[in-house]
Amino acid sequence: MDAVERENADRQKRWAKEQKVGEGTYAVVYRGREVATNRKIAIKKIKVGQFKDGLDMSAIREVKYLRELKHQNVIELLDVFSSKTNLNLVLEFLDSDLEMIIKDRSLVFLPADIKSWMAMTFRGLEFCHRNHILHRDLKPNNLLTAADGQLKLADFGLARDFADPGHKMTCQVITRWYRPPELLLNARYYGSAVDIWSVGCIFAELMLRIPYLAGDSDINQLDTIFRALGTPTEQEWPGHTKLPNWHQPSTTYPKTPLRDLFTAASADALNLLGKCLVYEPRKRISALEALKHPYFFAIPFPSHPSKLPKCAAQVAVRAAEDAEQANIDQNSTGPGVRAAEPGSRKRKLNSPEEFRARSIARRLDFAKQANSP
Amino acid sequence: MSVDSPSPAPAPPKKPLYEASTQFKHWRYSQESLADVRSKLNEAAVAVIRQTFEAYEPGSSSNVSFLNANEEHLLVTFYVTRITQLCGHFRFPEEVEATAATYLKRFYLKNTVMDWHPKNVMLTALFLATKTTNNPISLEAYTHNIPNTSPSDVLDLEFLIAQSLGFEFAVWHAHRALWGICLTSALQQLPSIPPDYAKSQSSVYDTALNHVRASRLTDAEFLYTPSQIALAAFSLTAPEIAQQWLESKQTLSESSPTKIGSGVLGSIETIKSIIINAGQRPETEAVREVDRRLRLCKNPEKVVGSKAYLARKAEEEKKAEERRSRKVASTGEGVDPFGDELDQPKPSLVDYDDDDDDD
Repeated sequence: MDAVERENADRQKRWAKEQKVGEGTYAVVYRGREVATNRKIAIKKIKVGQFKDGLDMSAIREVKYLRELKHQNVIELLDVFSSKTNLNLVLEFLDSDLEMIIKDRSLVFLPADIKSWMAMTFRGLEFCHRNHILHRDLKPNNLLTAADGQLKLADFGLARDFADPGHKMTCQVITRWYRPPELLLNARYYGSAVDIWSVGCIFAELMLRIPYLAGDSDINQLDTIFRALGTPTEQEWPGHTKLPNWHQPSTTYPKTPLRDLFTAASADALNLLGKCLVYEPRKRISALEALKHPYFFAIPFPSHPSKLPKCAAQVAVRAAEDAEQANIDQNSTGPGVRAAEPGSRKRKLNSPEEFRARSIARRLDFAKQANSP
Repeated sequence: MSVDSPSPAPAPPKKPLYEASTQFKHWRYSQESLADVRSKLNEAAVAVIRQTFEAYEPGSSSNVSFLNANEEHLLVTFYVTRITQLCGHFRFPEEVEATAATYLKRFYLKNTVMDWHPKNVMLTALFLATKTTNNPISLEAYTHNIPNTSPSDVLDLEFLIAQSLGFEFAVWHAHRALWGICLTSALQQLPSIPPDYAKSQSSVYDTALNHVRASRLTDAEFLYTPSQIALAAFSLTAPEIAQQWLESKQTLSESSPTKIGSGVLGSIETIKSIIINAGQRPETEAVREVDRRLRLCKNPEKVVGSKAYLARKAEEEKKAEERRSRKVASTGEGVDPFGDELDQPKPSLVDYDDDDDDD
């Protein structure tokens, strides 16, 4: 055996697969443990053999960026090894995501809880942007939460480096409801502001408990945005009518204050939300500026991560697992990594380009083929 | 903006981003450690291959002249120049070329040319680099343009290469740093910048870029940071501007603890001499000679059709067969093959029943 193969085999031995906890079209996720420490981990196994162009782009992006990024609020890639024609990503074990938490109607969010999630999201994002990486797929179910309540950015299958000025990028990124207007207008030059828009949408969703800008098609998405935030004027967003996909809308919506919809939010919260949802991308707040926004320094202070609401399912699973560990009951079928309650709505990418762009399921669907938005 | 903000994490002394990279953490060597890695790798490879020769034909290794570490290195360097040629052919961006060169060089810090010939590894490294730098091209289009190459030639090595790289695909490049130096030096009012610098700047950049390209034929990237290599290349082109640019950085960083000392200047001078002395395409005759000997000393287990190769394949086949029969045994022999079938889960794209024998 070659040295490299041996090294790979050694790596593989460090991790024990336990049970399958989810599957997507091109990948399977297992719960497992680090053999030496018994620490819980997740193994995402990507079948490579079936791609005619070899290692798939999403897998490559995910590995490339997660290998470099180490931050409390970014999912940790612990190891990578191959087995036969599979690529195995060993990830830290995260048992829930913000989508599950938002949808769990039994949970009550305090303003301090929302502030805490927002702070962790911005911290993780600021770290990505500081490293010149665009995430390009932020949404509640890509924000995972750990047992200790820490929130982590996950799913880097659409991430990329900042492009040089004048270098075109694809506009077929970011799940529709979280996609900023410049991408909906097919802008090919853009920057970190695209991720900020997504965070703004997530912020709103945390307050409303339903998706804020839920358009039912790409065309309708822009209309949904304009209806909520007013049709942009040339003054507030210079040049937007020159973007490739611009069509003069038939109706011009007036601006309605955010306050009308977000009745319970503090002035600081609405101020920050408004700054994330500025039409002109260059005027949108940056992640670093957001972290310095008065919202985060005003009372109530952010909840401690350990005090944040958790899904009942999640808590039950943990109890079951502890029990399982005690009596080594291998038959437990408790959902593991990011198991969603059945029938949950998945936010899916819809255009064919997107399907091509993300040919592997980076986010694994536990509730298979649920109704899409 | 307030300085005393609590987030992002109040990192004590500011660490350059570069120092968090896998390149900084895992691919940095001293001259000595690099030579050591290569000679140990070479010795180990020779020992294994000698043994293989002996195992199949006792006495057959005595008159084989194995390659030494320098000869291996020469061959790898030659294939770095082949990457450049191919990139010119495909009109790949600089980023792809630089990344592929790094992959090829890193690969041979973990593997020997006597196992894997660089002409094959080079093709896969380049293909992988198109993907990791977000410039993908279909495999078909890629191999179509390279004579005598089939898609499987490229794909067969992809995993091995990715593993050898430790799945660390991100590479920091000197040409990027050079571009940064050119941009900032033009903006700064450095005294030696000629009035028509804006005009000549692109030719300064081009000349310096050629020095950076030459540096890819050397070990510079394993010994120094991309920004040091870039500054050395710039200094070879426009020494005065480079000197003043460096000084201007020193004044900027006066308050910070990381003062640019004579260490940097020394490094720059060393890199300059590395580029001048080693940054050349190897002599074709010397490469040919090494390649001729490689044909005789390469690992017979990796030569398709050889006795050793066939024996190894047979061994692998036997193991796989054993595994299969174990699996059959464990799933229950003698069960009616027509029974219970309807309870089986429907076949999905992912055959997840097949995974627990990944050994």
